[in-house]
Amino acid sequence: MTAAQNLSGHPDAVGECIQGGRGGELLVVKGLCKQFGGLQAVADLDLDVRVGEILGVIGPNGAGKSTTFNMIAGALAPSAGTLTFDGEVLAGLPAHAMAARGIMRTFQHNKPFVSMSVRENVMVGMHRRIQGPLWRVWAGSSATQRAERAATQRADALVEFVGLGAWRDADVATLSFGQGRLLEIARALAAEPRLMLFDEPAAGLTPAECERLSDIIRQIAGQGIAVLLIEHDMRFLMALADRIAVLNFGRKIAQGTPAEIRADDAVVQAYLGDLGAMADA
Amino acid sequence: MKTFAGFALTALVLSALAFMLGSYQTDVYRKLLLWVTLALSYNFLFGIAGQVAFSHFTFYGIGAYAMVILLFQVGLPLPLAILAGIGLCVLLALVVAIPATRLEGFYLALATLAFAQLFIVVLNEGGAVTGAAGGLANYRLPDVFGMRVTGPWYTVVIVLLLLGTQASLWRLDRSWFGRACRAVRDDPQAAQAMGINVTATRIAAYTITSAMAGVAGMVYAFVDNTVNPPIFGLENSFLLLFMVIVGGSGRHAGAIVGAILLYLLPFVLSPLIGHHHALVFGLFMVAVVLFQPKGLIGIWDGWMAKRRTVP
Repeated sequence: MTAAQNLSGHPDAVGECIQGGRGGELLVVKGLCKQFGGLQAVADLDLDVRVGEILGVIGPNGAGKSTTFNMIAGALAPSAGTLTFDGEVLAGLPAHAMAARGIMRTFQHNKPFVSMSVRENVMVGMHRRIQGPLWRVWAGSSATQRAERAATQRADALVEFVGLGAWRDADVATLSFGQGRLLEIARALAAEPRLMLFDEPAAGLTPAECERLSDIIRQIAGQGIAVLLIEHDMRFLMALADRIAVLNFGRKIAQGTPAEIRADDAVVQAYLGDLGAMADA
Repeated sequence: MKTFAGFALTALVLSALAFMLGSYQTDVYRKLLLWVTLALSYNFLFGIAGQVAFSHFTFYGIGAYAMVILLFQVGLPLPLAILAGIGLCVLLALVVAIPATRLEGFYLALATLAFAQLFIVVLNEGGAVTGAAGGLANYRLPDVFGMRVTGPWYTVVIVLLLLGTQASLWRLDRSWFGRACRAVRDDPQAAQAMGINVTATRIAAYTITSAMAGVAGMVYAFVDNTVNPPIFGLENSFLLLFMVIVGGSGRHAGAIVGAILLYLLPFVLSPLIGHHHALVFGLFMVAVVLFQPKGLIGIWDGWMAKRRTVP
């Protein structure tokens, strides 16, 4: 218990959990397509996410944002196209295989493990890191016990990082919606991801919570983790993303820095329309 | 170390009890221990891994029949018969689990129910191998290192089975595997996003717990020294489910409480009200499910929570 508290107070505690450095393209999406019956949800989409950058994806409802997200996360198999992650071609792999390669996600509607404490939820995120042969569990080897203790400490450090330190033993049912979102993030970080996918992370949060969330996402990118964000909230995204891709009817209609997107006629016409919102952002 | 001491003490007390009982009481005591063992492993499958399977008692039967057939029809020596029996249970569990665990909830229940019924049919139609409707009898446990293990000493074997099952389930539950099982039960989609192979986890949980039920069955084979189809009917599968629910599903202590209570209840009630005990039994279970969905262990948890908050 005291060891956990020391570690959580340690400035490098999260740095130890998250590895990586700034560099080139980590995820390259080429010609991605998804058809649902006669509906072309995503058509010939190209995207790339670089190490340590925050790429935002926006678009009106039905633009194919969520479909794209789910294909990268492995929840949906693409109809065509390739996903290359760190040089390895991945497409149509199940979600757990994507997670095993370091692609972690949060859910728009929080999906906590309701029977567990906050800490245990985060420890589930470490599954791939601490799983081993079952006979070792039965043997109760000291290596297994050490791994379990280390996992507990790492979980506490991550819970502290997202600001839920006081709730680490709490039932997840007692958390607010915003806190639940923070738990989603801590749980995904526990897997030591190389690419973090955020599915509308600001949805349902108060302005103060959004502020805190932006701060956390910046810190995550600062650790050298690539971030892909799908978002509705313009103001939130404009202030946060390094680059933004705009989708409409399943196609990418623009890509660039927030300033470029703001000035793009096609974007303004096809999607934004509301110039007042643009000026605010 | 503390847990080990606790286990040793429990083993000692439960074993000592075996030497103080008469023959009728010994029979009740042995079966009680076996029910607790089964409830513990079924609690892991149903309560922790969240699989509504009705095949647990069937694997108990498979273990028992396998033991008798392998020893006395095939003629294997005891250690080999034990290993082959476990192997058979694992194999059959995999055969059921690989298609069935892809099914969720209702469909898994149906598939395992069908398997349980099939087992009874196979027993009845098994001819000389299973002894058909009459089952198999007139055998006894082969000597172990030239010694007959009978009476209270065989009860000690059952005590060790119970504690061994509990210890291995406890370790599983407290590990990444237990967390993965609970995560899959709570939210399979989120579990998968955390890198958990949902199907493999379900298959592993089903196979491990079913094999544990099989081992308990292998021990049971020498309790009554007879195995026959009615013993392994569906009624007992449902009783097992009720034990776990009444005690408090997902909790080891709950399974123990539930098994003790529901096994002993008829013994207490039937002298008082005769055949009507089944009615009281049914009403009791309905009341628990309606008013105490977290089971009897939930009442205890409530008290503990109050005691912690009051001062």
